[in-house]
Amino acid sequence: MTPTMTDVLDIRKLSVEYATARGAVHALRDVSLCVPRKKTVGIVGESGCGKSTLIASILHLMSRNARVPAGQILFNGIDTLTLGEDALRDLRGNKVSMVFQDPMTAQNPVIPIARQMVDIQYRERLSTEEKRKRAVAMLRRVGIPDPESRIDGYPHEFSGGMRQRISIAMALLVRPDLLIADEPTTALDVNMEAQIIFLLRELQQEFGTSLLFASHNLGLIAELCDDVVVMYAGEVVERGSVRDIFHEPQHPYTQRLLECDPALVKDGRRTLPTIPGRVPDLRVIPEACIFEARCHKAFSVCRERHPAPVEISDTQSVRCHLASGLTGAPVRRAEPRPQGGGLRRKHAGEPLLAVENLRVRYRTEGFLKALASGNRDPFLDGVKQVSLMLRRGETLGLVGESGSGKTSLGRAIIGLTPCHSGSIRFDGTELVGLPDAEYNLQRRKMAMMFQDPIASLSPRRTARSLVMEPFEIHGIKLEDEDAEAERLFAMVGLSTAFFNRYPHELSGGQARRVGAARALALSPELIIADEPTAGLDTSVQGEILNLMGELQREHGLSYLVISHNLPAIRHISDRIGVMYLGRLVEEGPVAEIFENPAHPYTRALIEGTPHPDPDRRRTLLSIEGEVPSLKDRPRGCEFHPRCPIAEPMCSREAPQARDIAPAHAAACHFPLNREHLKQRA
Amino acid sequence: MLFYAAKRIGLTAVIVTAIVFTLFCLIHLIPGDPAAVALGPYATPEMEARFIEKMQLDKPVHVRFLSFAWNALQGNLGEDIFSERPVSRIVAEALPYTIALAFASLGWAILIGIPLGCFSAAHPNSWIDRLTGVISIATITIPSFVVSIYSLLIFSVTLRWFPVIGAGEAGDLGDQLWHLVLPAFAVGLGWVGYLARMVRASMLEVLGETHIRSARAFGLPERVVVYRYALRVAILPTVTLLGMGFGSAFSGAVFAEIIFSRPGIGKLIYDMVVARNYPVVQGGVMTAAILFVTATLIADLVAAALDPRMRANL
Repeated sequence: MTPTMTDVLDIRKLSVEYATARGAVHALRDVSLCVPRKKTVGIVGESGCGKSTLIASILHLMSRNARVPAGQILFNGIDTLTLGEDALRDLRGNKVSMVFQDPMTAQNPVIPIARQMVDIQYRERLSTEEKRKRAVAMLRRVGIPDPESRIDGYPHEFSGGMRQRISIAMALLVRPDLLIADEPTTALDVNMEAQIIFLLRELQQEFGTSLLFASHNLGLIAELCDDVVVMYAGEVVERGSVRDIFHEPQHPYTQRLLECDPALVKDGRRTLPTIPGRVPDLRVIPEACIFEARCHKAFSVCRERHPAPVEISDTQSVRCHLASGLTGAPVRRAEPRPQGGGLRRKHAGEPLLAVENLRVRYRTEGFLKALASGNRDPFLDGVKQVSLMLRRGETLGLVGESGSGKTSLGRAIIGLTPCHSGSIRFDGTELVGLPDAEYNLQRRKMAMMFQDPIASLSPRRTARSLVMEPFEIHGIKLEDEDAEAERLFAMVGLSTAFFNRYPHELSGGQARRVGAARALALSPELIIADEPTAGLDTSVQGEILNLMGELQREHGLSYLVISHNLPAIRHISDRIGVMYLGRLVEEGPVAEIFENPAHPYTRALIEGTPHPDPDRRRTLLSIEGEVPSLKDRPRGCEFHPRCPIAEPMCSREAPQARDIAPAHAAACHFPLNREHLKQRA
Repeated sequence: MLFYAAKRIGLTAVIVTAIVFTLFCLIHLIPGDPAAVALGPYATPEMEARFIEKMQLDKPVHVRFLSFAWNALQGNLGEDIFSERPVSRIVAEALPYTIALAFASLGWAILIGIPLGCFSAAHPNSWIDRLTGVISIATITIPSFVVSIYSLLIFSVTLRWFPVIGAGEAGDLGDQLWHLVLPAFAVGLGWVGYLARMVRASMLEVLGETHIRSARAFGLPERVVVYRYALRVAILPTVTLLGMGFGSAFSGAVFAEIIFSRPGIGKLIYDMVVARNYPVVQGGVMTAAILFVTATLIADLVAAALDPRMRANL
């Protein structure tokens, strides 16, 4: 991996610091990487490891308090750090272009797409008409339907996936030598993610652009990249070809990261591995190896000396003392490896929650407006005729793409969204239509863990007061508040030192724990967890899922877990429900669903998850397109326009849910691998 | 969008009705005999009887309100007690002076304040930004009547650059504009600071948004990024604010009009309150209120039209 002039980008020994009120943060230290022409290089690491700083430094798009004390960033042989603002601007959007993380805010909301795409071609000597034509052609290339007319629309008229396609189209329109993509699919669900990754792969081949791709998702890195750079706490700890990294990782951090990926944990019942500890504070850099504090293989030298990168082959280099042949007595005992049978599952008890034919409707137009426009039915169904049952001590995982109605269902059960019709029986009591006073008594036995851990906590309250708030809300007097607060904090594994922290002072994982403590305050029987692992690093995901499992075992909790992350949800669920367009299309035991799915949609969701193995790259997309609009439900089976095995009958007749195995139901005319159940057209 | 406009206009009509009703009640339900107050201590019983009949003071309140509302709808706001001229004509004569002052004062405030705010946001913590900040706060805090009095003393009395009082010769546009300069300066000065602060704040927020980072990553010139991409988004809350600004300027830059003796609505209402000339007060305040509500209505519609996200949802 010696740098040559053929490399588009060659970063040498780069350091970046941020000046803050509490001292300089050494965000990047001695970082080297190179991106060869026409190749894809992945940067992987937990959040806070410097991926974004590294990317921003390439084009000098860092915040104003950043400083570069050392290093070189050679782009086509020219050090961009020595360039003035005008010369840098000449590279941006010309030789180098970028695709950012959040497609929802990546384009200007009040300027038409066409105008934005014409504006970025300002260097070309073409007429506006020709620039527009090029833009339309590029939009068509990235799969925007009907680009001639839609180019005049505004960003909010497109879905998240479509907006990310537009971002990619804009980035490639300028024919860059290097395309930088910073977590381009993190905000999208699995199906959109797969489509975007396929698109990037195709376009990269077609245009011969080099690609620098940052992600914390190992599966995507394995699927897309030729070379991989692993970052930890502002350092490159390992770099190598994609096979080196995934098949023979040398650095303990790389090894641990791979172990943590739930997709690689074969046994669904096992406690998930985690990396204990946190990314350290980068204000004071220790003499020791930066990973020493979290390393399971650390020995005496690791505490004394900072390792230098060691080339262990032509392609691979590692920053670890072990690689240079040093050994010694381990400084800490390896903590016991997670054992089988850790998570959940003894036997399920009697039914706790039974939902029947539940329907949730949302108003789309105000009363007067509907009257004025002659719309007789200004509603759409967020949840349509869903029936499900949850037993005591059991976990039901609800999965589906964005817009499938899983969150609506969860919110309806817990009373945050009114039900239109149907029945919700909880602990033997019908909740729909129950008078407020009685409802509140039942409501105490349920709690919700919300999607965004930090934003769902009031920024003006301390962690302790947030956790104790449910008692206030329900007017419950406690004899000893301090003891109760301590008990709840201990339950979720937080020390009392966190009592006086405010939400913004918590990490994502800690905020999740506070959210869990809050949910546990009133000793509920049912907890509805909406995307409990979204936005968390893989290592922290495991911690939260393990915690949920422990709490379930100790307190006999029942969970309804909503997620689009199938590998994660597999580890805590007993049963899985798959939702599409507000309907439950398949429901069954977790092992059955994963090993032998009946509905093509379920299979597509399972296959939509990338494998962290470069030898198992997908070559075919499992399903195309997006979830249709709820306003315009397809006739017959609602999945048929996207279904790979649809037959004429599917567009005529809606399938009924039926049992295809004990406790396993699916709504499909032609369930997979079940020849005897297939219907004649 | 059409539906939204219709809804907002309907709502405006309801608000105007409520304003007129409240106003009517305030004036007619205050204690004291209006006839005695209006006619003074030397009125004869005949004069009083004629006044009561003309003002319909013998009728119940709701009848008086309905007849007032009905007449107002037809453009008849009653008659001046003393001169017996129609109130609508008196108000119509005062209106142009007020509208001219509102446009002149806010006009220069917009021309200076918005670019100043943009510049400050594009160069945060530069010396120009800090200076603008200090000056903005100063102009916001100084009441406009103080600015009026001092500018009158300095520029008219001492330096004799501008005329002292009045609105200029009728029909002489140059003279009228000449008379407009100082009042517009006095009323607009606070708005310069206000707009600069407002635009700076919303600009800074927008400049930190990711779509601006994208625009920069495409190498668009900084001028385009700030004045085309960011300002388009940042201007939206300012439009709503300007509606309020025009509204309050219409409903009477009272102090400025009194100090400079401009015959606008503000001065008219003030004079007529002093003289207890109720029909004129009533007509004047109602007109001012309608102008205020209309200005905010227009601002809301403009803001909705400028923002495609709002336009789509209306």
